[in-house]
Amino acid sequence: MSLKTNTSIQEEEKRTPSFSFPLFSFKNISKNRHLWLFFLPGFVIYTVFFALPTLSALFLSTTDWNGLSSQFSFVGFKNFKELLTNDAIFTQSLTNNLKFTIGVLIFQTLLSLGFALLLYRNSAWNTFYRSLFFVPTIISSVSIAFTWNFMYDPNIGGVNLFLSKIGLEHWTQSWIGNGHIAIYSLAFVQFWAHTGQMLIIFVAGIQAIPSELYEAASIDGATRWQKFKRITWPLLAPATTMVVAYTTIQSFKAFDLIIAMTNGGPSNSTEILSTLLYHEAFINFRFGYASAISVVFMIVIALLTFLQFRVLRLTKM
Amino acid sequence: MKQNPFRHLILGIYGLIILLPLSLVLLTTFKTTPELYSNPIGLPAGWNIENYKQLLVNEPIFGYIKNSVIVTVFSTFFILWFSSMIAYAIIQLPQKLGWIVYGFFVCGMIVPTQVNMIPVFVLMNKLGLVNTLTGVIIVSISFLLPIGVFIITGFMKTLPKELFEAARMDGASEWKIYSKIALRLSIPSMATVGIFSFVIVWNDLLFPLLLLKSKEVKTLPIALLDFQGEFLTNYPMLFSAVVLSSIPLLIAYVFLQKHFISGMTSGALK
Amino acid sequence: MKKLLILLAMLTVIVAGCGKNSSTSGDSSDSSKKVTINFTHWRGEDTKAFDSIIEQFEKKNPNIHVEMTVFPSDSYQSQIQGSLLSGEGIDVFASFPGSQFETIRKANGFAKLDNQNLLSRFDEKLIQAGKADNTQYALPYQLVYNIPVYNKGIFEKLNLDVPKDWNSFLKTSETLKKNGYTPILFSGDVSPSQFINPMIMNNEPTNNALHEVETGKRKLTDEWFIKTLSQIKELNDKGYFQKDALGTKKESAAALFAQEKGAMLAQGSYMMATVKQQNPKIDQGLLAPITVDQDKAKYEGVHTTTFLLGVAEKSKHKEAAKKFLTFLADPKISSEYANATGQLLTVKDVKYDSPELKESAKWKDKKTVFQPRFTILNERVSKAVETSVQDVLSGMSAKKAAEKAQGEVERVAKN
Repeated sequence: MSLKTNTSIQEEEKRTPSFSFPLFSFKNISKNRHLWLFFLPGFVIYTVFFALPTLSALFLSTTDWNGLSSQFSFVGFKNFKELLTNDAIFTQSLTNNLKFTIGVLIFQTLLSLGFALLLYRNSAWNTFYRSLFFVPTIISSVSIAFTWNFMYDPNIGGVNLFLSKIGLEHWTQSWIGNGHIAIYSLAFVQFWAHTGQMLIIFVAGIQAIPSELYEAASIDGATRWQKFKRITWPLLAPATTMVVAYTTIQSFKAFDLIIAMTNGGPSNSTEILSTLLYHEAFINFRFGYASAISVVFMIVIALLTFLQFRVLRLTKM
Repeated sequence: MKQNPFRHLILGIYGLIILLPLSLVLLTTFKTTPELYSNPIGLPAGWNIENYKQLLVNEPIFGYIKNSVIVTVFSTFFILWFSSMIAYAIIQLPQKLGWIVYGFFVCGMIVPTQVNMIPVFVLMNKLGLVNTLTGVIIVSISFLLPIGVFIITGFMKTLPKELFEAARMDGASEWKIYSKIALRLSIPSMATVGIFSFVIVWNDLLFPLLLLKSKEVKTLPIALLDFQGEFLTNYPMLFSAVVLSSIPLLIAYVFLQKHFISGMTSGALK
Repeated sequence: MKKLLILLAMLTVIVAGCGKNSSTSGDSSDSSKKVTINFTHWRGEDTKAFDSIIEQFEKKNPNIHVEMTVFPSDSYQSQIQGSLLSGEGIDVFASFPGSQFETIRKANGFAKLDNQNLLSRFDEKLIQAGKADNTQYALPYQLVYNIPVYNKGIFEKLNLDVPKDWNSFLKTSETLKKNGYTPILFSGDVSPSQFINPMIMNNEPTNNALHEVETGKRKLTDEWFIKTLSQIKELNDKGYFQKDALGTKKESAAALFAQEKGAMLAQGSYMMATVKQQNPKIDQGLLAPITVDQDKAKYEGVHTTTFLLGVAEKSKHKEAAKKFLTFLADPKISSEYANATGQLLTVKDVKYDSPELKESAKWKDKKTVFQPRFTILNERVSKAVETSVQDVLSGMSAKKAAEKAQGEVERVAKN
């Protein structure tokens, strides 16, 4: 966009065609006739290529389609009934998903906030650390999965070998072979891979806080903790909300990592809703049932996100 | 900067936690597969660059890189443009309507991708967009618009409406206000969305794999799969490809980071 | 406004420019135009071998271009499903026996293969997995023995013979353990579904038992299945599997085997070539645990025919696709593939060059049963069986694991 002078702006205004059909009848919106143009491209692409396909897939939750044949029949809410009352694996997946998401949420948010507080100034060291922490985000999930498959190997893996070397032999585990801890081992990899990404959001948020506020507080004799509590934390609200929401959604959806590392096992101990959905659709050939899982999946995330907004709003008091 | 050594200790430890597994990846690229298993975490015996040579000479890797660049750059550009336009429109709407539109887009974030894979493929097929880069670009835009709208709207909401009003009084068109004021001030959030989108699209496997069938159009992540077998994966080769494909991203990040930071601080000072 | 229109114009140009880059032109009936067919499978380790074969095919058939696409096996179905539905981008493709083959066949995904010239190239006994209602829908290409690979050198060193019944199997394992070797290297990701086969084959030799569990005629809580699970548990409890077997991946187990740290590898003949690559000096053979007394043993091993090659019913170039399939079944070409990839094939008159292939080819003359697990047509039942093995390895009792699995089977039957 090249810069224009004031006169040419007015000339351009005259040349702009006016759209004569009224869109809204609200008085407050001036120039509203142009607003719909802003929506248009994104709206079209999103609706046609995302929203509609999703809706059609969701509608399939009321059928018994297997994903391949040209015929299927309606079964009403049968899939949902089975899912909620007679599917032990679904219940397990839901629990696993919550364990995973909550674990990731706590660590990812706290770590990224903590590091942001240490790294928000633009020094050379800080830029270095920020870039380093961000690198896992750049690496594709296939490689992250393999790297950690390797690190977690009970016999030749880095983690156990390292623990033995420093004399903590009794801490060695079957990190992803033991059904009780596997999901947490995976949660670790998830926040290892994404903390650097959330770090950026917090840094941006902190840098946006005007330094005069801190100076004024210093003059008033505020401690570091008070500065954090009264200035940083409240003003970081948008950033915090974003990080929490994004982390929740991202970890709830976590798919590539789990499929590549444990494929839901052992004994479904690392099966989460997105992987269950995938297995039902493409391994068990129950696309209709899988769609029912997607519906529940989305409801759960929506609920969780809503809860978070509430909780975050309360802590702002 | 108080407590210097303590600070460096914490950062250093986490830095190592990040670095060690990654260096493992790098070291592996210089080993052969048997060597990888007999000497998993040690230094490679020789600095074997066979894998890199093979990739650069035999595989049409530059073609893949070119395709990845085309898809990623165009997708990111349109995501930024479209979501910022939508965000701008949303903040002008009255409360209730604004929330509905915002919700419509942002709800897309919770949809698991596996769900619309098949309907999207069938649609793309009908439109003749299978096996085209354009198809992948359009799909990428569609699934990243939610996060774009989410982040940018969140930011634009904090901009003072008076600025827009003042500009309108001066007779500026909506487009002018959007491009000269709203966009300029939203650079930090745009940069965030830009970086996220760039990385996500660059590494995306699901849709390129689904939609791209011939060598001329395949993107880089797909090439990685050629090294993944049913029972044996050629990890040194796979990782060499990963390293090569991460280099452009790293460079882009290092540069973007500089602009990003200057953009952020200039935005903060306004 | 003007800027917007200019940008829109640019967009249109881009759309047109980045348009269709592949040549899916060509029409199956007009043989003078160039046709492109897709060859889709999941074996990334075979890409080099196939590349060379494709080159030769294209030389012989200058009007046909073959585009090979490899999807990883765990996302294979999801990637081909869209193509199967629309017919776009899928011509010759591979599938797994059992539930995947069944489901695709029922959905009319396969074109009938009735060309005698093509069919006669295969060993008739070995292509049953791709047959239904007396019609051939897909041709299994690979032949695999899903029984443990063993290190002949170690056995010789310790003067061990291949055990012929359960007690000697236990004794052999004990000897191996005492001498510092891991008797059986077991990987949590693939071994449960591999190892269970030889364990079942003699415990319930009516080679349809698992399918009958599906249909409800039998139960997993029957004696033969509980016995199988408790025998697997016994091996684990006695320490004959390596530590943390469930957390070990197939490549690690294979690597440990190649490094001669373990004497048996609970995978299958398909792994022999890979192991050889890592350790050219190793001498390998195949053996199956015999779970009963010698005189009661009906089978010596388990075989599977997999990598079922078929032609998509909706393909627009069926003739070209069938040509390619026929080419792959040519004895000379098959031999080239077999030796390059270390796989046994179902094609007739294949010449095996490597000692490993020659060793596993010997099994064609032994009494083997088709892999019990693949007689299951419903994937959820198959998964329940696999999970029960993982459960006993995590410490659950055989009876409880069997009950849990049977519960899952009954749930599947209801829905």
